[in-house]
Amino acid sequence: MQFPIFQVPHLGNGMTIALDAVLHVIISHGLAIGAITLIVISEYMGFKKSSQDWENFAKDFLKFTIIITTGVGAVTGVGIWLITSALSPLGIGSMLRVFFWPWFIEWMIFTSEVIFLLLYYFTWDKWTSERKKQHIYLGAGYTIFALSSAFLITGILGFMLTSDGWPWDKSILSAFFNPSYLPQLLLRIGIALALGTVFSVAFLLFTRRESGFRKEALNFFGKVALLSLSATVIFTWWYFSVVPSSFKTHAKFAALTSHFSQQPEIFWIANITAAFLLFVLALSAMRGSTLLVKILILPAILISMGFVSEFERIREFIRGPYLMPGYMYANQVLLKETPVLDKEGLLKNAYWYNSITKRPDVVNQGAYLFAQNCSACHTIGGINDIAKRVQGRTEDGIFVILGHTHDMVPFMPPFSGTEQERRVMASFLYKLSTGRLKMGAPSRFTPGRWE
Amino acid sequence: MNSLFDIMLSKPLPDAWLRGLLFASFTLHMVFVLLTLGTAILSVYYFIDARWTGKPEELRMDKRILKTFMAHKSLAVVLGVAPLLLIQIGFTVPFFTGVNLLAPLWMLVIVFLVVAFLSFDALGHKMYVHPYLHLVFGIIALLLLLAVPAVFVGILVVAENPEKWLTIISSGYKLRGSLALHWLFRYLHVLGAAVVFGAAFHYFFSAKDETEKRSLLKWIIAGILLQIILGTTLYSSLLEKPDYITNASLFIGVVGVALLLWIIYLNVGKKSTLDIRTVLPLLMLILIPMLLARQFIQYKKFLPLEKQLQANAQAYQKELQPYSQEALNKYKDDLKVVYDNGETIYSKSCAFCHGEKADGIGPEAKNLTIPPEDISAIRTTRTHLHKILVEGVSGSAMPYFTFFDRYKIDSLIDYLDKKYHVLSLPEPLPVKISDTALQQAQKIYNETCSGCHGMDGRGSALSKGFQPQPPDFTVYSLSPKRAFDVITKGYPGTAMPSFSNLPEEVRWSLVKIINDKRIPELTGRGKIRK
Repeated sequence: MQFPIFQVPHLGNGMTIALDAVLHVIISHGLAIGAITLIVISEYMGFKKSSQDWENFAKDFLKFTIIITTGVGAVTGVGIWLITSALSPLGIGSMLRVFFWPWFIEWMIFTSEVIFLLLYYFTWDKWTSERKKQHIYLGAGYTIFALSSAFLITGILGFMLTSDGWPWDKSILSAFFNPSYLPQLLLRIGIALALGTVFSVAFLLFTRRESGFRKEALNFFGKVALLSLSATVIFTWWYFSVVPSSFKTHAKFAALTSHFSQQPEIFWIANITAAFLLFVLALSAMRGSTLLVKILILPAILISMGFVSEFERIREFIRGPYLMPGYMYANQVLLKETPVLDKEGLLKNAYWYNSITKRPDVVNQGAYLFAQNCSACHTIGGINDIAKRVQGRTEDGIFVILGHTHDMVPFMPPFSGTEQERRVMASFLYKLSTGRLKMGAPSRFTPGRWE
Repeated sequence: MNSLFDIMLSKPLPDAWLRGLLFASFTLHMVFVLLTLGTAILSVYYFIDARWTGKPEELRMDKRILKTFMAHKSLAVVLGVAPLLLIQIGFTVPFFTGVNLLAPLWMLVIVFLVVAFLSFDALGHKMYVHPYLHLVFGIIALLLLLAVPAVFVGILVVAENPEKWLTIISSGYKLRGSLALHWLFRYLHVLGAAVVFGAAFHYFFSAKDETEKRSLLKWIIAGILLQIILGTTLYSSLLEKPDYITNASLFIGVVGVALLLWIIYLNVGKKSTLDIRTVLPLLMLILIPMLLARQFIQYKKFLPLEKQLQANAQAYQKELQPYSQEALNKYKDDLKVVYDNGETIYSKSCAFCHGEKADGIGPEAKNLTIPPEDISAIRTTRTHLHKILVEGVSGSAMPYFTFFDRYKIDSLIDYLDKKYHVLSLPEPLPVKISDTALQQAQKIYNETCSGCHGMDGRGSALSKGFQPQPPDFTVYSLSPKRAFDVITKGYPGTAMPSFSNLPEEVRWSLVKIINDKRIPELTGRGKIRK
């Protein structure tokens, strides 16, 4: 590959991106889209009913929301990009070239979104009485831009699982409007509103004591929650119905991981129970049973965050061997590159390996082959530790398995490199698995500092 | 470096457009970056100043200054998206290499920004905290915020100096020597500009009276003077001699600085306030040529490199072309394979070792010292087979398959059972044996076999250290024919030796003894095959 390789030690690359991305999704969906839409509606209710309670609730909630969305939401959003730039440069670089225009338009939308949000916030006390209506329009304008962001980003996310005709025709339209585009967009809007109501209810309970307004607001948020939760369930089903079965079949494993994969009932029990609790929350809010809502709200926040993490984990996991299906494997090797590397050798073409490594022994060669082939998902000494994965295997066993990674484990990419290189890496991994070679938790794999 | 190559997907825009847009969007981004940094610096300074002089709450300027932070930082972040996008497309390899070589710092930027933004916004939005706590938060937030341009400048310095990449790596991914010096001056130059821009902004929009304006004017003047010094040192620390167009551009900027100083001088003399209509254009007259000069210096490094990278990419593209169709076909075929049934799972995940016919003679068998088992001869229980599949066989090539959930493993077991009856009890012996042979075999089992296999067939204490361990005969058997083969030839690569010296009838008797150890209740289905 034309870029040097860095891996986040201990955490691994996937978990690093996941931590940032899940936080971003919860804020961007739950607050930036969901909560602020509800804030604008609340402001409108205050205006229509001439209710100071609704007006003040909306204003206070906005102050909290804007600090979190601009401070954490926006930064973690750009953060996904910053992290992938460091860990997966070829992947993100290629995605940027395919999706330049959506990305560029997204920049303009994003900027407009922030400008509208800032105006909405800073004009709250200034645009009153006759100008109140205009202020509400300003808020509505913001939500349109926020939704447009989702409209653009979903195309890119959908592509990473269902690239459809793009590998063949390389057309931006088939890449963007891929089969999972529409269901995913609607699903994300459903998630946004559902999360938004949960956050709104929490804010309401923590900051409002007056029981008349509290009941009225709970009833309203309960209705929205019921609607958006039902929509989320339906669109989740639609979404998974368009995902190719060859990917979808790994969804349960993605959620359960090796720890629980042999008790797959957990998957259904946990998901159904969690969803049920959310519906109970919505219904009890509608019926005004404050006590039940109070009991359920914290679990509901955790459950919603859990659902978001689970969905993103499944979506990212089941695309498995591919970073760009039909074009690039998860380890940034192009599909058409593998046969060339198998023939010519990976190390021969590795500029950074050849420029830095002084001693081409098994350890240095093996470490680089590992870095290039495996380090997108596996660490040494951290999460998904490769030494643990191959522990107990014989060296020839590792060699054989390396030749069939993609067949044997369908969500793994194939090994790229010659048979000789495969032997070197098997020997390297065997040494690691038996503890004869100790590397700690390295982040760089090229310098020849291992004995 | 000659063998590095650009990404092989075509650029979406002509180079000239990319560069033009990059410059325009970067300038826009920088304006708000400078305002954000300047606002942060001034807010902390004026907070300390207010505490020091005991200014009453309502007169404190630091609050008014900090209130604008939210807008500046939000715009700085969003406006940064375009230049980041454009530089990653226009100068993919050098930029990503810069990012990669300083990867830990680059990723920490996220943490720095989140903490700094939350702290400043919380402090700026009337969230009451004790003054000392305010000070501590303010200073931490400021330091973290100031670290961000340090990282960005560092990455650009790395990106712009490809000939130094290997040196940077060999010095532990750190900038050293002239590179470090250049980075330092460049970074300080950004901070100096932030002071000037921040102070100018708050001079016009936050200051309420003469005293405040005068105080901010001091910051502006000090900032400009500092910039002149820093600019000169930065110029002398440039790693390559700047060309004519860079110098021309810098000259325009310097003229702008002189004009600005002159205007300020005139105003101070007349004791009047500055007019934004003259100051803003002048600031732009300084900023734009300065950033242009920076861009020219960068292009001087990037453009020849980019040419080489493009040429290399084209050559590699050509080399890969013949494999393109084949790869696409393989992908299409892969999409059709769904690992949700035993048959598919067997043929993809097992057959390369155990063979299409499950006879243990797969294409990879020849590469393994311990041959793969002949699955068609296995007679075991569902629980035991499941255990083997999820734990693997330690000391052999047989891996664990927990990456298939229980439903999938069950369907694999069902498939193997349907096809090869692996969940049955072993069949009766195909030959007749005499009682003497049986007695003789029992003696041999007791004296020899039990040493490893144990009297009960579950494995002796000694065998617990073996890799792989002997099978548990109470739950795992082989068809008589296969068991006979193993006794005769041994199991290569394991502790099981060959007993071909024993008479054939004794070996068959041993098969019976072993298979009789199976406890029928433990069979998954209780099905006995004849």
